[in-house]
Amino acid sequence: MNNCRLIIYISALLTVFALTGCAKKIVRPNEVPSAGLGMAGPGAIAEGELQGVQTSLKTIYFDFDNYTLSPEAQAAINYDADVLKRYPNLTVVAEGHCDERGTAEYNLALGERRAGAVVERLTALGIPGARLSTVSFGSELPVDPNHNEQAWAKNRRVYLRVSK
Amino acid sequence: MKPSRLSIQSGNTRGTGASKYLLCVLSLLITVFPLPSFGKLLLDVDNPNLGKMPIMVADFLSRQPGPLNGSELASIVKNDLITCGLFDVVPAPQPLSLDQNGEPDLKTLAESGAQALVTGSFYVNGNQVTMELKLYDIGLQRLDLGKRYTGFISDHRYMVHMFDDRILEKITNTPGYFTTKIAFLEDTKTREIFVMDYDGSNLHQITNTRTINLSPEWAPDGKGLIFTSYINRNPDLWYVSADGQRVIPVSHRKGLNASGRFAPNGNFIALSLSVKSIPKIFIINTEGNIIKQLTNGLGNDISPSWSPDGAYIAYVSDQAGSPQIYVVPVSGGEPKRITLSTSYNTDPHWSPKGDMLAFTAKIDGRFQVCVIRPDGTDFKVLTNKGSNQDPSWAPDGRMIAFVSNREGVKRIFVMDSKGTVQVAVSHVPGRSPAWSPRLK
Repeated sequence: MNNCRLIIYISALLTVFALTGCAKKIVRPNEVPSAGLGMAGPGAIAEGELQGVQTSLKTIYFDFDNYTLSPEAQAAINYDADVLKRYPNLTVVAEGHCDERGTAEYNLALGERRAGAVVERLTALGIPGARLSTVSFGSELPVDPNHNEQAWAKNRRVYLRVSK
Repeated sequence: MKPSRLSIQSGNTRGTGASKYLLCVLSLLITVFPLPSFGKLLLDVDNPNLGKMPIMVADFLSRQPGPLNGSELASIVKNDLITCGLFDVVPAPQPLSLDQNGEPDLKTLAESGAQALVTGSFYVNGNQVTMELKLYDIGLQRLDLGKRYTGFISDHRYMVHMFDDRILEKITNTPGYFTTKIAFLEDTKTREIFVMDYDGSNLHQITNTRTINLSPEWAPDGKGLIFTSYINRNPDLWYVSADGQRVIPVSHRKGLNASGRFAPNGNFIALSLSVKSIPKIFIINTEGNIIKQLTNGLGNDISPSWSPDGAYIAYVSDQAGSPQIYVVPVSGGEPKRITLSTSYNTDPHWSPKGDMLAFTAKIDGRFQVCVIRPDGTDFKVLTNKGSNQDPSWAPDGRMIAFVSNREGVKRIFVMDSKGTVQVAVSHVPGRSPAWSPRLK
């Protein structure tokens, strides 16, 4: 019994140390997934349905150092616009990304511009501007961390993140 | 002689805990004799054909054994002198032969070809160390510079760097940068901001935002940094005090609040905002209010860099189809494109001397650090191993920090503005170096 108490006491002490001492430790955050900084809150539609909408949306891809919409990109946006029209309560953040080449700051501008190009097109297709916003992550969040043409092509993208 | 008091603020480790304020008392040990007008130790750093000055650095001497090692102290001097690109450090005889007055026998040393000699002696008293450091002119056979420093043992590197700053001032007429620091981003998923001595020592974590941080840039007073961070899930501009204790938002408009740079007077910040959907260069005050929009048109404009007189800003725009560097008067007017040689030129950084811009160019599929005059002439490529980016000038306007992947991982390197000496300084993977101003 006494031993038990001692152990509890020591654990409590260790917890205090952990909370004070470790607060100073260099903390590595959890790996941020490619588009993990968005937050899906509870909405009018069920969480599962929201996820279904999310996975049905197509990612829009770009050429190197370019923010113009290729025919493939336009087709993807047309498809996404149709999906979004069926869920008028969802808001959309267009997350702009670049491949790792080039400089971080210029890529930030390029990612913003890619996101802006997609939002402009969605607006033209009838999605109200109030539902749409942009955020650029530049080259900071690659989906494929490899250093080759295949990886770069996947990383030059705009990801549409839906939330209520 | 009245000793002057110098306060050294040490960057706070991991952004928590009380700041340490260290005191170091410094006094001039020896009055320097009036110098003749010729023959003295002098390097004209603007001379394009400048050769390196051969110099000896003797192991520091101590009267009794202690926590500091005389050979390691001498290594700090050697490293400073080698990496600045102006000296050849030649081996000093061990031990130095002394004359009848206990001074180094400079006559014998002259045969080695060395033009100068650095010596040091030190003694430890409790947690303090006192160092006497001297620079001799071997050719003229005389003492040129002598200093005595007393401070905490933990500041021994700083004390040696202070003397090396004076050596460079003596020989080049511009104080050294050896007491300055370099901020950079850890090249991992988190990208927290770290600060280290220019030579990689005394690494401290400054931020603990646990999100993506970008583009650290020192305030001209050296008391803090601005940076872009996703703390609130948008690339906003923040300020962090150099001890990491205060983190405050500066600009958090919708869209980009990116690539913030303090004006030389510290009263304004140039940055890229996308409030009108296309990223453009704006000037805000330190409270974050927009003073003016500096650029227009359809290009993405980013990465502003102020001229040292605050009259011009260089920046990147892709208005002509590919990213190029332009210069525009802060008072308004037509931007002038200054890079014409390659198809991808970014990250301009104006030298504190005003004569050059360092920038990143894409050459043969890789990125290289280059320099160019603000009028677009004298384009020079300084690097060629691996990919090299993100140049940042030291306050002397001669040294440049940059990031290179030439050894595999990205590390912070420093080089002189001719690229003759290029050395890795960060012991950890890093990018986006920002060289500090001279720190008081």
